[in-house]
Amino acid sequence: MTSAIPLEAVLVVAGALFCIGLFGALSRRNMVGILMGVELMLNAVNINLVAFWRYLEPRYISGQTFAIFIICVAAAEAAVGLAMVIAIYRNWLTVNADTVDSLKG
Amino acid sequence: MAFFLQSAWLIPVLPLLGCALITFTPLRRNKAASGWTAILLMILATLLAVGLLAATAQGLALRDGQLVTLATGHGEAASHGEAKDHAFSFPEPNVVQRINWAPTGSSLLQLGFYIDTPVAAMLAMVTLTSTCIHLFSLGYMAANPRQSRFFSFISLFTAAMLLMSMADSLLLFFMAWEVMGLCSYLLIGFLYERPQAYRAAIKAFIVTRIGDVLMLLGMVYLYTQAGSLAFGTAAGEIFHPAFLERIGTEGGLLGLSHATGIALLLFGGTIGKSAQFPLHVWLPDAMEGPTPVSALIHAATMVAAGVFLVARTFPIFVADSGAALAVVAFIGAFTALFAATIAVAQYDIKRILAYSTLSQLGFMVAALGIGGWVAAMFHLLTHACFKALLFLGSGSVIHAMEATPVIERLHHKDEYAAQQTAQDIRNMGGLRTRLPWTFWTYTAGYLALAGVVPFAGFWSKDEILADAFKGGHWVVFTVLTVAAFLTAFYMTRQWRLVFFGDYRGERPVVFKNPEASLAPDRHEDGHGHESHGAHGHQNTGAHWHEDPVMIASLVVLAAFAVTGGLFNLPFALPGGHWFASIWGQEALPFSPLVAGISLLVALGGIAAGWTLYGGAFARAADRDPLEARAPAVFQLLNEKYRIDELYQASFVRLTALLALVWAFIDDVILNGIINGIGRVTLFLGRLNFIVDDTLFNDGPDALAGGTVTTGKGARRLQTGKAQDYIGYVFGGAVVLALLYLYVIGR
Repeated sequence: MTSAIPLEAVLVVAGALFCIGLFGALSRRNMVGILMGVELMLNAVNINLVAFWRYLEPRYISGQTFAIFIICVAAAEAAVGLAMVIAIYRNWLTVNADTVDSLKG
Repeated sequence: MAFFLQSAWLIPVLPLLGCALITFTPLRRNKAASGWTAILLMILATLLAVGLLAATAQGLALRDGQLVTLATGHGEAASHGEAKDHAFSFPEPNVVQRINWAPTGSSLLQLGFYIDTPVAAMLAMVTLTSTCIHLFSLGYMAANPRQSRFFSFISLFTAAMLLMSMADSLLLFFMAWEVMGLCSYLLIGFLYERPQAYRAAIKAFIVTRIGDVLMLLGMVYLYTQAGSLAFGTAAGEIFHPAFLERIGTEGGLLGLSHATGIALLLFGGTIGKSAQFPLHVWLPDAMEGPTPVSALIHAATMVAAGVFLVARTFPIFVADSGAALAVVAFIGAFTALFAATIAVAQYDIKRILAYSTLSQLGFMVAALGIGGWVAAMFHLLTHACFKALLFLGSGSVIHAMEATPVIERLHHKDEYAAQQTAQDIRNMGGLRTRLPWTFWTYTAGYLALAGVVPFAGFWSKDEILADAFKGGHWVVFTVLTVAAFLTAFYMTRQWRLVFFGDYRGERPVVFKNPEASLAPDRHEDGHGHESHGAHGHQNTGAHWHEDPVMIASLVVLAAFAVTGGLFNLPFALPGGHWFASIWGQEALPFSPLVAGISLLVALGGIAAGWTLYGGAFARAADRDPLEARAPAVFQLLNEKYRIDELYQASFVRLTALLALVWAFIDDVILNGIINGIGRVTLFLGRLNFIVDDTLFNDGPDALAGGTVTTGKGARRLQTGKAQDYIGYVFGGAVVLALLYLYVIGR
């Protein structure tokens, strides 16, 4: 089955997914949208990791381990990110990322 | 009796306490209270000192805290045969107390008291005269706003004089000696508003300093030889017989033995302090101080300190072959005659007494020089009493004169001229009836000084002459006899002009004050002898008064002037030779021949004075009878042989010249160098400034400016928008990736 779909195809899908996520993270004004873009990028990385493990080093589990770590980190990131979105909304009554620029130098 | 020996240390402490109390407590604001404090402490000290004299006279002494009796001196034993010349035995000490003062290397510097019988006699004399003078000052200085300070000073002075008398070493002696010098300076310049007063103070200080430096050199010399300055005859102390033997024979500089060198240097201190020729010039000028000061310091006590110094270190003077004593005798005899001749031609009542003091000090010094130790000390003690009396008497006269309307009127115009006019004996006369107490006490002092039997001065002066006669010092004997004649003569002149005749003060000879800007209504025509005064003013005499406390002190001193001779009558009776016996010295047998000559000379002087000045000075502006006979001589004497002018023309001008040279060196050479250095430094500074400004300042300035600009640019990147940051991160990632792909990875 591995020979049915070559590694390059999987990497192209992952690259596409990363680009979609990056575009979303950069272009969306809604903070929830940005978070969603970030999730997409993380998952594109996961696909890469899993694909390299499956096609190149199937005897080791480091690729899976990395993937599981990233899923955990992504979950935590989503939880913290959403909590921040709620906190920001309570203060500014908006979730527009452009409006929130109090870190401006 | 042990009490007096044990509490001897209190004698100088009490006056010092008086000084401290007056100076440091609010007592100083109350003139009478401070005066009485000082007087009471002085009376206490007098009692202690008299008790001490009584105790030591019985031969009582303290040894390790135990009361013992010393073998009394060999006074009576000395009458036998021809006593050796310069026979002197240093008296056994009665009380010696020393404390460890400072460790000096391997040895220990000790200071303390060394009291023997001559010291006890000195202490009694000093406390007694000082008490009288304190009392007198209470009246005399009452009008002075700084009376409290005056008491503080004379108490300090008395403390120093007492400390000096009982010092156990030459070092402590010198310390107290210098404190006295300071007090003398302070008191001569006490009326410091007057230029004459502070000039006299500086003169006294500097002139005595010359002697003090010599004395200090003598002390150093002595220390290098003996390794100690402590009095005493024990081994390691300066009068140890073996040590004296050694310095008397071993040679020092210029063929003199060590003893001669040390003795002459120490004698330099005496010349300064006791105002012997040629350093005598300060003492007459010191009369600018208030009269009690003249009495206490410049007649009775401090000037006697120089004589006491020789008396105290006498073993060193006799240790050599006699060269030092010859110098001492010469200086003393010369001063005695020299000063007596000047006194003949003075008009100022205090200056006559000042020159008389010089002359009498010369007697004492001459007596020491011919080995008459007892005679010198005896004359020192009696002279202190009667000279203090005479000065205080003159103070009483001046005090009364200053209260006369003529002087008071002058006082408003020129204070100093008024005082000098009040002191001029030509302006007095007939005060016998106006100031009876002063007259009788003054007469006692006058007869004592003139040397009339049985007053104190006769016995002591006679003893000096007898010493000279017996020792075969014919020159000294002749000179002193002439001086004694002159003493009687000038004292008679003064006494007669002050107390007899008619009062001449209505038209006084006014002192011309070169310092003052005279008021225009003073019609002076430029002659010192110009008569001037209250025309037609009839003085009723109602203002003449004598102050009770002043009289009291005069009477006490007069009693001693009359009876002082009893302490050392030259007869082999019980009580005769008392001083000689308690001092442990040989007594001089009575010589009727010398006594006869002495009395004859005194009476001759009195007779000459009485006849010569009998009809003189009908008016104050008259010429002195002596002046009429020998104008040139009189003028020379009146101007004090122009010694002051001589010093002015030689030493003072030389010093001024030296100062001028130094000023030139200072101005031109040293100033040039210093200004040059300053200019170079200024130039270097400017150079440095330019380098700093252009080179060092611009770099950091540019750095700082660049930082600011960069910061300003960089802050635009900080939009605060999260997505911009993500964009930067992505951009950075792209750049890194391109770098990897095309630069590194290839």
